[in-house]
Amino acid sequence: MKKPVVHITNFNLKFKDKSVLKDLCWTINSGENWLLSGESGNGKTSLAKAIANLIPSYGTIELNLNPLNNLVDGVHYVANWYQFKDLEGQANFYYQQRYHKQAATTTNSVSSELKHFGQQNSLEQDTLNPIVEALGFKSLLSATLIELSSGEHKKLQLIKALWLKPKLLILDLPYNGLDAASRKNLNLLLDQLVEDGAQLILISNEAEMPSSINRFARIEDGKLVASAAMQYVNNLTKIEKPLPAFFQEKQWSSTKSHLVKMIDVNVSYGNKKVLKNINWEVKAGEKWALQGPNGSGKSTLLSLICADHPQAFANNFYLFGNLRGSGESIWEIKERIGLISPELHWYFDPTATVWQSIVSGFYDSSGLFCDPGYTKRVQADELIHFFGLDDYKNTLMNQLPLGKQRLALLGRTIIKNPELLILDEPCQGLDQQQTFHFNKLIDELSKNGTTLIYVGHFESQLPDCIEKRIVLENGEVQVIENISNKNYVTRSEQSLCI
Amino acid sequence: MANYFNTLSLREKLNQLGVCDFMDSAEFLDGVNALKGKKLVIVGCGAQGLNQGLNLRDSGLDVSYTLRKEAIEGKRDSWKNATENNFKVGTYEELIPTADVVINLTPDKQHTAVVNAIMPLMKEGATLSYSHGFNIVEEGTQIRKDLTVIMVAPKCPGSEVRAEYVRGFGVPTLIAVHPENDPQGKGLAQAKAYCVGTGGHKAGVLKSSFVAEVKSDLMGEQTILCGLLQTGSILSFDKMVEKGIDKGYASKLVQYGVEVITEALKQGGITAMMDRLSNPAKIKAFEISEELKDIMRPLFQKHQDDIMSGEFSRIMMEDWANGDKNLLAWRAETGETAFEKTPAGDVKIGEQEYFDNYTLMVAFVRAGVELAFETMVQAGIKPESAYYESLHETPLIANTIARKKLFEMNRVISDTAEYGCYLFDQACKPLLADFMKKVDTDLVGKNFNEGKDGAVDNKTLIAVNHAIRNHEVEIIGAELRKAMTAMKTIKTA
Ligand SMILES: NC(=O)c1ccc[n+]([C@@H]2O[C@H](COP(=O)([O-])OP(=O)(O)OC[C@H]3O[C@@H](n4cnc5c(N)ncnc54)[C@H](OP(=O)(O)O)[C@@H]3O)[C@@H](O)[C@H]2O)c1
Repeated sequence: MKKPVVHITNFNLKFKDKSVLKDLCWTINSGENWLLSGESGNGKTSLAKAIANLIPSYGTIELNLNPLNNLVDGVHYVANWYQFKDLEGQANFYYQQRYHKQAATTTNSVSSELKHFGQQNSLEQDTLNPIVEALGFKSLLSATLIELSSGEHKKLQLIKALWLKPKLLILDLPYNGLDAASRKNLNLLLDQLVEDGAQLILISNEAEMPSSINRFARIEDGKLVASAAMQYVNNLTKIEKPLPAFFQEKQWSSTKSHLVKMIDVNVSYGNKKVLKNINWEVKAGEKWALQGPNGSGKSTLLSLICADHPQAFANNFYLFGNLRGSGESIWEIKERIGLISPELHWYFDPTATVWQSIVSGFYDSSGLFCDPGYTKRVQADELIHFFGLDDYKNTLMNQLPLGKQRLALLGRTIIKNPELLILDEPCQGLDQQQTFHFNKLIDELSKNGTTLIYVGHFESQLPDCIEKRIVLENGEVQVIENISNKNYVTRSEQSLCI
Repeated sequence: MANYFNTLSLREKLNQLGVCDFMDSAEFLDGVNALKGKKLVIVGCGAQGLNQGLNLRDSGLDVSYTLRKEAIEGKRDSWKNATENNFKVGTYEELIPTADVVINLTPDKQHTAVVNAIMPLMKEGATLSYSHGFNIVEEGTQIRKDLTVIMVAPKCPGSEVRAEYVRGFGVPTLIAVHPENDPQGKGLAQAKAYCVGTGGHKAGVLKSSFVAEVKSDLMGEQTILCGLLQTGSILSFDKMVEKGIDKGYASKLVQYGVEVITEALKQGGITAMMDRLSNPAKIKAFEISEELKDIMRPLFQKHQDDIMSGEFSRIMMEDWANGDKNLLAWRAETGETAFEKTPAGDVKIGEQEYFDNYTLMVAFVRAGVELAFETMVQAGIKPESAYYESLHETPLIANTIARKKLFEMNRVISDTAEYGCYLFDQACKPLLADFMKKVDTDLVGKNFNEGKDGAVDNKTLIAVNHAIRNHEVEIIGAELRKAMTAMKTIKTA
């Protein structure tokens, strides 16, 4: 009998005195490719990092990677989160920085980053190109790191991993931020890798997966539970807790006035046009889905609305009834908007506590810089309780798993009960149950007359209240239409690769 | 032109040096109103120009840029900075006559030429703003009597001015109105509104004077900030090499050590920095920093005296007129030091190790900060101003050293800081020669605590702690830091 490829015995993990993983055992045999799913924060990421020897392990992990195939020896882990540094070795970024032209040259370019990676690992340049093509990354090679969106950073990491071809590849939430076409191509590339002799551990809660996945497991009560197929949480429960009462205090009248009115809006960097002649109106109380593949211009469009883009001043558009650039301050605009986006999360002050992060939503700041006073304190506490974050109130963001961080930032997004909610992939990093809860919460909030713009790459993960959508492709509006919830799901999945 | 400070009577000198008022946030309730609808034209689009302009525009103000003809025609970086961010750019002739406020953000060395070119074009009753008072105070430039002259000086590099603003915060800022040029009495209101526009009001604003800002700024930058950090770094590196410590390790310890050590300073003053040491190391660091203070006191006093008398500016401007002969020679010398030429080794140095193995730098920093602060206060500068120009800025320069080492650090700081830094460094190294002879690797390069049992005498420790904690820079520092607790922390390398 051959030795197992990965043999884990009695693996233990604690977080804040609470046992997360308890004497966990896991055997991975040759030829097996595992999908590991389960709630956020149940120790999946730590387990994966321990296998990749990135953190110390409390238990034994034995590796016997196949010596026969000629793939790169060792384990490669693609994190659910990523960090890069500027040319001076600092990572002190802010989320709006990618829209600032002068910031571009402060970080490495994608091509030299890849070149460096290739040299470090003695990789052949010509094996890179097909991967870059398949993930639609060619046009980004000349971009610099700071200019990439979170989805594009994810792709860059995946490209590195696929190029490296390790014997054991661990992917932690690889689909976050990827559009449907990229997800499909990624799965094909992964299947190819398996054919070449690699083995996979995929951490994901999505229904999509490479066809080479042939083993399934969840973590339950700190132990690994193997199953024959992917297990979904079927009994998604409705929110039993009522929304804190202060959310009912403000009702936004749906007077059908314009909150956003764009007239032939253009954004370009040098010769590269990112948005082309956008005409779009969002009226008070409307619930929009904003869709389009990676790189179609969605985040740039949103950054104009959130007063984060300097080219707003070269364009003709109205926010909350005022011509942009007519003497309003960005803080007056931000005050009326609740925003979450992958970039906001990614660049958020990692040394703020959960409580500070949530309260900072009152001030639209990244981190808390002032004393909020009694009323706001109480409201923050109520919201923390609503999100089940009581135990983490004073924990620093960078010590929490991704899903918990995201919940705190979602609390930050809604705490001031804003008239316009901009939710750019709000549920990244959340599990199915949490996503379900959050979308129900949005349905609930939207009854206050809140206007909504929602970006989600997974059709199945949109809240019910969505009634209109705008689709971008290559910086242009492709579709603006009313939708009835049922048929758009099927239609768009067939016709548009969102 | 005569040095402005020297034209004042002693009473007026002390009067202006003593302007120092930490402003209450209630003073900024009027927001940007005093500048609303006014035309703000910024001269120069470099580090401060671009970033201040982006903030002012995002605060709802009307901002455009004027650049010298060559910059526009040559499409230089300054032109690109402005146009790519969708600002209107024009020549002096096109934009200055329309401006209600002209904001001069060109390098200090160019100020006389720039002001001479723009002043005749400025409209009657307009305002001229600076971010540093050198031109007014040291060069004694006379501004037309109908014009208002203000200063809004962020105490951080331009990139930080922007980064902290978009995070919803700001950087500490000094503001001032030139007493000779406030014909309509609107200067202070405009300076406050400007400060709100850049976000400075959220991080602490000190009402100062041109005179106090310049004299304290010069003193801080040439002694503790750039001068002593440079001298201390070079001497430490050379000592380690002399004693056979690995060069790569020595280079890394010196390059990143100041940043890690002064990070503690930023968060909790000298006290927090000293508390990172073991008790025996703390007592040792205290003792040698006392010794360092005694050795260097006359040098600090000489720098302060020369700054006050205008002698420093005079010789520096002589060098400007001389084609920067001294500056360039010293700059080249800095580039040739062994520290500069030895790349940081590929070794991991833990955060605590930077303290334990670099006790000497802790002593240098304490000695330098306290001496600079004491010397400024003795010369009539108020403790608040002295704090900003010594302790507050030390971590910022340390951060620049970590990123760029000494040669490049000197290139990015202002011309006046660079000149003063070399001047100090040249004089300080020989002064410390005897002291350095006694220094061994327990103070720099190896763990001070190695082979010691950690025992200390209670009384000594209590006395040392008392001396550290009750220094005036600690008392005033604790108060001022409360206003800016949330400044981003620097990460360890
Ligand atoms: N850097 C800091 O940390 C800091 C902090 C507080 C205050 N300050 C003060 O801010 C002011 C500006 O400093 P900075 O660091 O921002 O300078 P900088 O980055 O060197 O930028 C200077 C700008 O002025 C232009 N310029 C240079 N020479 C000129 C001339 N003869 N005529 C017209 N324009 C000229 C340059 O553009 P072209 O060469 O393309 O024309 C450039 O855009 C100084 O008074 C400084 O003391 C600086």
